[in-house]
Formats: sequence, structure tokens, C-alpha cells
Amino acid sequence: MRLAFWLYEGTALHGISRVTNSMKGVHTVYHAPQGDDYITATYTMLERTPQFPGLSISVVRGRDLAQGVSRLPTTLQQVDHHYHPELIVIAPSCSTALLQEDLHQLAAHSGVPNERLMVYALNPFRVSENEAADGLFTELVKRYAVTQEKTAAPSVNILGFTSLGFHLRANLTSIIRMLQTLGIAVNVVAPWGSSVEDLGRLPAAWLNIAPYREIGVNAAAYLEETFSMPSLTDAPLGVEPTMAWIRSLLEKLNVFGSERGAPPLSMPNLKAFSLDGLSAPSGVPWFARTADMESFSNKKAFVFGDATHTVGIVKFLRDELGMQIIGAGTYLEQHADWVRKELEGYLPGALMVTDRFQDVAKVIEDEMPDLVCGTQMERHSCRKLDVPCMVVCPPTHIENHLLGYYPFFGFAGADVIADRVYLSCKLGLEKHLIDFFGDAGLEYEESAPVAEAHTDQSDRNEALSPAVISTVSSEAGAVADDGEMKWSDEAETMLKKVPFFVRKKVRKNTDTFARSIGEPVVTVDVFRKAKESLGG
Amino acid sequence: MQVPGDIQIIKEDNVTHSFCGLACVGWMYQKIKDSFFLILGTHTCAHFLQNALGMMIFAKPRFGIALMEEGDLSKNEPTLQEIISEIKADHNPSVIFLLSSCTPEVMKVDFKGLAHHLSTPEVPVLFVPASGLVYNFTQAEDSVLAALVPFCPQAPAGEKKVVFLGSVNDSTADDLRAEAEELGIAVGGFLPESRFDKMPAIGPDTVLAPIQPYLSRVAVKLSRERGCGVLHSLFPFGPDGTRAFWEDLAREFGITVDLRDREKAAWEKIRKQTDLLKGKKVFFTADTMMELPLARFLHNAGADVVECSSAYIIKKFHARELQALDGVRVVEQPNFHRQLEDVRRLKPDLIITSLMTANPFVGNGFVVKWSMEFMLMPIHSWSGVISLANLFVSPLQRRSKLPVFDEKVWLEGVMPSAE
Repeated sequence: MRLAFWLYEGTALHGISRVTNSMKGVHTVYHAPQGDDYITATYTMLERTPQFPGLSISVVRGRDLAQGVSRLPTTLQQVDHHYHPELIVIAPSCSTALLQEDLHQLAAHSGVPNERLMVYALNPFRVSENEAADGLFTELVKRYAVTQEKTAAPSVNILGFTSLGFHLRANLTSIIRMLQTLGIAVNVVAPWGSSVEDLGRLPAAWLNIAPYREIGVNAAAYLEETFSMPSLTDAPLGVEPTMAWIRSLLEKLNVFGSERGAPPLSMPNLKAFSLDGLSAPSGVPWFARTADMESFSNKKAFVFGDATHTVGIVKFLRDELGMQIIGAGTYLEQHADWVRKELEGYLPGALMVTDRFQDVAKVIEDEMPDLVCGTQMERHSCRKLDVPCMVVCPPTHIENHLLGYYPFFGFAGADVIADRVYLSCKLGLEKHLIDFFGDAGLEYEESAPVAEAHTDQSDRNEALSPAVISTVSSEAGAVADDGEMKWSDEAETMLKKVPFFVRKKVRKNTDTFARSIGEPVVTVDVFRKAKESLGG
Repeated sequence: MQVPGDIQIIKEDNVTHSFCGLACVGWMYQKIKDSFFLILGTHTCAHFLQNALGMMIFAKPRFGIALMEEGDLSKNEPTLQEIISEIKADHNPSVIFLLSSCTPEVMKVDFKGLAHHLSTPEVPVLFVPASGLVYNFTQAEDSVLAALVPFCPQAPAGEKKVVFLGSVNDSTADDLRAEAEELGIAVGGFLPESRFDKMPAIGPDTVLAPIQPYLSRVAVKLSRERGCGVLHSLFPFGPDGTRAFWEDLAREFGITVDLRDREKAAWEKIRKQTDLLKGKKVFFTADTMMELPLARFLHNAGADVVECSSAYIIKKFHARELQALDGVRVVEQPNFHRQLEDVRRLKPDLIITSLMTANPFVGNGFVVKWSMEFMLMPIHSWSGVISLANLFVSPLQRRSKLPVFDEKVWLEGVMPSAE
């Protein structure tokens, strides 16, 4: 038992519904108490679905339990009658899993033909969102994929794209555009937009693309094993990885094609991948070499997220922008080994593996990186610390479901990520000017975060009377009640002269320094000593 | 109050597309400012709170989940002592509400005993039943208030004061208090007040005035335990409900007031809105349990309420509202699949519906309003009349301002699974 405020991964039910909500003609019935269908709101509000997601709940009420009544058969009949799905996936919730009901038997009582029902009763206390989504998707592929003729022309399936995925549509568009440029047809995209018939057609393609470590790789492995379909499981994240991805794709397709006497595909002129067809496909290689970006070589970055993006972003920041990686981590324990292997030689220390955001926030607070790439929660943690942060992976938030084209994959994706790094980090040459001469009139920006500060924060500010904040007599000594180091007025004035965007960091470092030399209060003298000692 | 026999309530099989009682944490922790809300629950409960209520933004929220993991399922009694200590150290609350959820209820955890065991005289831990097995969206507020009853001091006999029942924001509370005092009604306070140690005194001569329609249990409990009276009137929404509420409340205090002119003036103030609402077909799909009074306001404003569904209808507590809805189709525990068919057939002009269903209704060509918005806006009493009317009118007006929408063009690719 532990106290939790926020979790990176959703529930098994969430994973199941992400897959079925992606698919045509597939309906999920939750056998669950009222309210467990809150998941529906994540689709209708984040993805703004213009139709009702194929999700229904067979409500379990306390009274039903006492009377031994189950509404599951009736709900299945109603769903069948109203929506005519080709498949109904039946899933228990955490509380109903404990009841140990025989869902197969209850489902059979509905009279809905067995071939249109699938009980997916995994243990919600053991399996979380990604594993459930990946597991169900693999099961569906196993159930429907059948041996058949290959397409005449080179074709691929794109696997693992799932409802509520991170920048899902734009990533898919980016991949499809590259395939179009290469003259490769898309056979099936799944689960996003696919029907069970489409799953049946999967083996017609020459190859499977499964760029997400979390969802789709196991289905690709099954298809490889059962139908001898080669697969490409790298993520085209960054310019060089995208080039490698294209080369690998062509190579695998050409091996496959040569066995059937198909003419080989060749790498087109790279201009063909640009939006106007006339330019370099990405601005990143030049951007990274400009004098403007020289200051980035000193920037320290910390990356925390799922498996796919943690690996991709660490490599991008170091290999393509030349930044320093001071650490990385993932909340997906089941993929930690893969992440470790991928990032061998990239990290100064061990990979952080935790699903507690407080632990991640603590590392950020201790390290005060120049850039954090993380989830929405890291963005929030960083806001409090005034550390630049960009969101690079799920769980998605309404802000990750924007209308514009912001892929992370492909050449266009590299440009998007580099732009975000640039906009998130603090300035280039301007930074030197400001460091040297002061705030350059940018002081006003400091008040901005205060307005959106959490109420607890403002409560605390209200609680401190101005008298407490303004003067600290040196004999007062010791540390303030809340554990914060006290600063003299003069030292505060001096701190004001430090650029606002590093002020919190300087304050914190100075506090630590003062404690280390046993000074109870930060005076001007202590502050100067700290600057000397820390090179501030 | 007599319930006339001719009020037909159609009862169907379940409520879907609505939240469980844990949702009440969203507003209750903000209302009672020195509280902490601890949910004994699972990953599902945590995921619900952070997603559906959009609460991930709060750094140090005064609510949290004592997360039950697989290993905890085999234990007879959950051990919460450490978590309680952590909460006390970090938040220093005056009271901790311990909310039940589905899994521990299935496990038959003895919540009362647990809360009792964890309570200290300084920081009581109060059990709040809230699980989706029993409680709907707003009903857990009823449970929170019931848990607070022992902390309401005993008002002496003869102390005739009104205590308003239901959480509203401070400015709405000020308005209600001022209005009561102007009518000569002594105000004993609100249940809940915004601090735990400020809960109102309640005694045999207290008049409880429910201002939210989902608090029937605590009203019954108080009248049974303290012998207080409970006002049975309309809820103070809209000119009609507000007039009846204050006139009936004043009568409890032996004061006769005639608010006819005030009501008329209030209708006049929203004439533009009611002109637009007249004859409009409105459909309530059931979510917050505020449906009856809202539908009654619309009915009296001249709208055609084609269906008013609510999760639960408590015949005695809602008697006056039901009476005022005479002739309107009222459904308890509606079946959503049936509603969908009726909506397609009846083609309402406006649908009041939950967060889960709003956008899909729009995608089907309908105009909607989120039912939850009515809980988060100041719509009570005279000062809330304009806000209330505008909530219904603004989606209608907005739709008429937007250009014609060709769904064949603009919905293409938005939801591939539905194509």
C-alpha cells in the first residue's frame, strides 16, 4: 500500500479500450461498477471523437452482487442489437475481477454467437495499460490473420498505432509520406482504423513496420514467426535514425522482392522527402552545426518517459544536437532492459526505473538540468522549479492532441523536436548578454508563473506576512521552519541581479553551499563565496 | 408534502456514461479547505481522478489514493497508518475523509472500524462511502456531509435558524445568507462550511434548506438524529424555483413574503434567453442528479423538455420538482442505448449530457451542453438566474453563429474507427 497522486500508466481496461476504440466494428463491454466507463471521456474529450466510442458498460451494482444478478448477458444482447459489432471484447474491471465470475459462461448466456465474443480477462492488478493493449492487439492478430497471396507490389503494414497515442496522427502521416516517396504501398494500418477483416489481410503485406516498443512489436513477432513476414521495429526518430530506418526498410523489402523477381527499390534523392520536394528533408543537420547552436553543447539534459521515446530522444539530443545527457529513466519497468541495452554508452549512470513521479521530480530538483524531456508530469514538476521542459511521450494530455502537424517521426519529426528543444531551452547569444548585463528588460517574465501557481503555493505566500519575508536579523540564525535557508536583504538584492531564469538554480546552489560550510544565513559574503566556489 | 399519484416515473435498467461517487472529491476538497480526501482504491480510481477530472496539474493536492496493489488483496485489513502519518506530515489537515471504492467494498473491508482505528481526537478520520457499486456522481457529497454530522454542534431548542445544505462557493453562500437575512430569516450557516471546525450548529429548531438536489440521505439523517425540520420546496434555481424556495423557507419561520414581483422581474431580465428557449426541444440524458430542477426551470421557461432522465429520483425529497414537471417524460436509471434511439427520433434542439457523450452527440448533428458545467457555475438563487439561463442559451447561440458544417468534408479522418 502506498499513497499515490498520479500514475504514468493507465489501467488494463484503458489499454484494452485504446485498441478497440481504434478499430472499426469492435465493441468493448466492461463488466464493471458505475463510473468505470470514465475511460470513454478520454476518447470523446482528448480525441474529440465525433461518434460514440464502441464502449459499453455492464453495470455491476452492490444490490446485484447481493442478489447474485449479472447484467452482462443483457448488456451483450443490447450492444449486439444496437450496434451490430463484428466482435465484442468483454473485460472485467479491478473490482469485478475479484468476484471470480465465469465471464465465458455469462457471455454464453447472452446468446450472441461465440465467434463474435472474446473474453479478455487479464488480471488488472498485474497488467497495466501498455501490456494490456499490446496483449489484446496480439491476440486479435492471432485470431484473424490468415495465410494468403502477397500483394504484387511492395507493401507494408503499420502496426501499433493506437488511440490516444502520442502525436499519433502526425507520426502516421509522416511515415505514410515517406512510404509514398519510396513507392511502397500501405497494406493495413492497425489497430488505428482497422477492422477485423483488415487484420485478416495483414499477411498479404511484404513487411511489418512496428516502431513503438510498447504496442505492436509482439504482433509483428507473431506475424514473422507464423507467416515469415520480416519486420522493422526501429523508430524513425531523428535524422540519422530515419535514414537508417529507410535503408533498412529498402534492404528488407529488396531481399523479399528478389525472391519473387520483383525489381529492387532504390533510395531516391533525399530532396524527395522534403515538403516542397526541392529542399533538404530536414533542417536539423545544418541547424545543429550553426554557431547559434554552439551553446547547446554545454546544455545538460535529463530524459524520462516511456521506452520508445526515452531511447529516441536521448539519442537525438546527444547524437544530433550535441547536448550532454546527465541521466534518463523510464516508467515502464517491463521495457527497462531494452532501454538499457539501447542506451548503452549514453548515460553517465544507471537508468532510472520508477513509476513514482516524486522520485523523478527529486532527481530534477537535485540536478537542475538545462532541459528536461518528459511526460506531462515532468513538465509540471519542472514548472515549479523553473526548469525548461518539453513533453516527449505519453500519457497524452489535451495539449498533445493539437490540430497542427507536429510529428516526432521522420525528417519532419526531427525538425519538430529540434524546434521544441530550441524554444524550451534558454536562448543562445542573448543568454550571454543577459548573463553579463542583467535582465535586459525581461524581468517581467518572472511574474508569469506566479499567476498560474497552484493555490497551495499562494496560500503559503499569504500565510507569510511581509514582515517575515523582508527582514532576517543575522542573530535569528538557524534555518527557517520550512527548511529553507534564510537570506539577508542585501543578499536578496544581489540575487535579484542574477538573470531571472537561473535565479532559482542559483538560490538553491547557494543554499546548499551555505549549509555545506555551516553558514546559517546567506549574507552577501556567503553569496560571493558561493559564486567563487561554484563558478556562478 | 403529498406526492400526487399521477406522476409517472419510468424506471429503466442502469445509468451509464456517468462518474462514480469519487468524483465528489473534485469539488469537496476545494470546499473544505483544511481537509484531506484519502481514497482506499486501485489504479482505476487514481486513473479516473487524474484523467476524467483533469487533476494532474495540482502539485500537492489535498487528496490521494491509498493504492491497493495485488499483494494488498490477500490482507485482511489494509494498513493505512503509515499513509495517514505521511498525510499529516505533509498537509496538516484538520480532518481526513476516508473514501471507499469498489474493490475494497467487494473485499468487504470494515471501513467504519478502520476509520475509527485511525482517528485521533486531533485529526478525526471519517468514513465516506463513495463506491460506484452504490453511489452516483454527486451522491458521495451526501456521504461526506453525513460523515460531518457528528461535528456539527448541537443547537439548543428554541434556536430557530436556517442551515443551508450543500456545498456552494463562498460568493454564492454570501448571496444566500444576505438574501435570508433580508427576509428576516436567521442564518445558522452552511453544511458544509469551508473549514472543518466551523460546521454549523444543528438542533430541533433548525430548518435545513437543501440547495442541491442530491443530498437526501443527510437530510433524512439530520432530521432523525437532531429532530430538525427539512424544507420541502423547489430548489433555488431559476426565477420560479428561487421564489418558491424563499417563500417556503420564510413560511417555516412564520414570515409571509410575496415574491411574485421579484420573480416577474427576474423572468424579465432573462427574456431574451427565454424567447430563444421557447418551444425548443431539450433532452437530459442523466448525469449529475441536478436534472429535475434544471428541467423544471426550462419547462417553466417555455421549453419543451422531451426527456428528463436522472440517475436516481427520490420521491419524497424531489416531490415538489416532480409535481412541477407534470406532463414531462421523467426517467430514472435510463438505458443509454434506448436514449440514443429516442434522440435520433425526437431530434431535440439541445441535449444536456455528460463529458463522455457530449462530443459524439455534436458529431451526430446535435447541440449539447455539458451537464457538469451546471455544478461549477453560480446558478443559485436570484443572483444566479442570468448565469443559469445563459448556460442553456449559449450553445444554441454559438451554433447559429458558426457557418454551415458539411460533416462529409470536415469529419473525414477524425475518427477512422467510425468510418
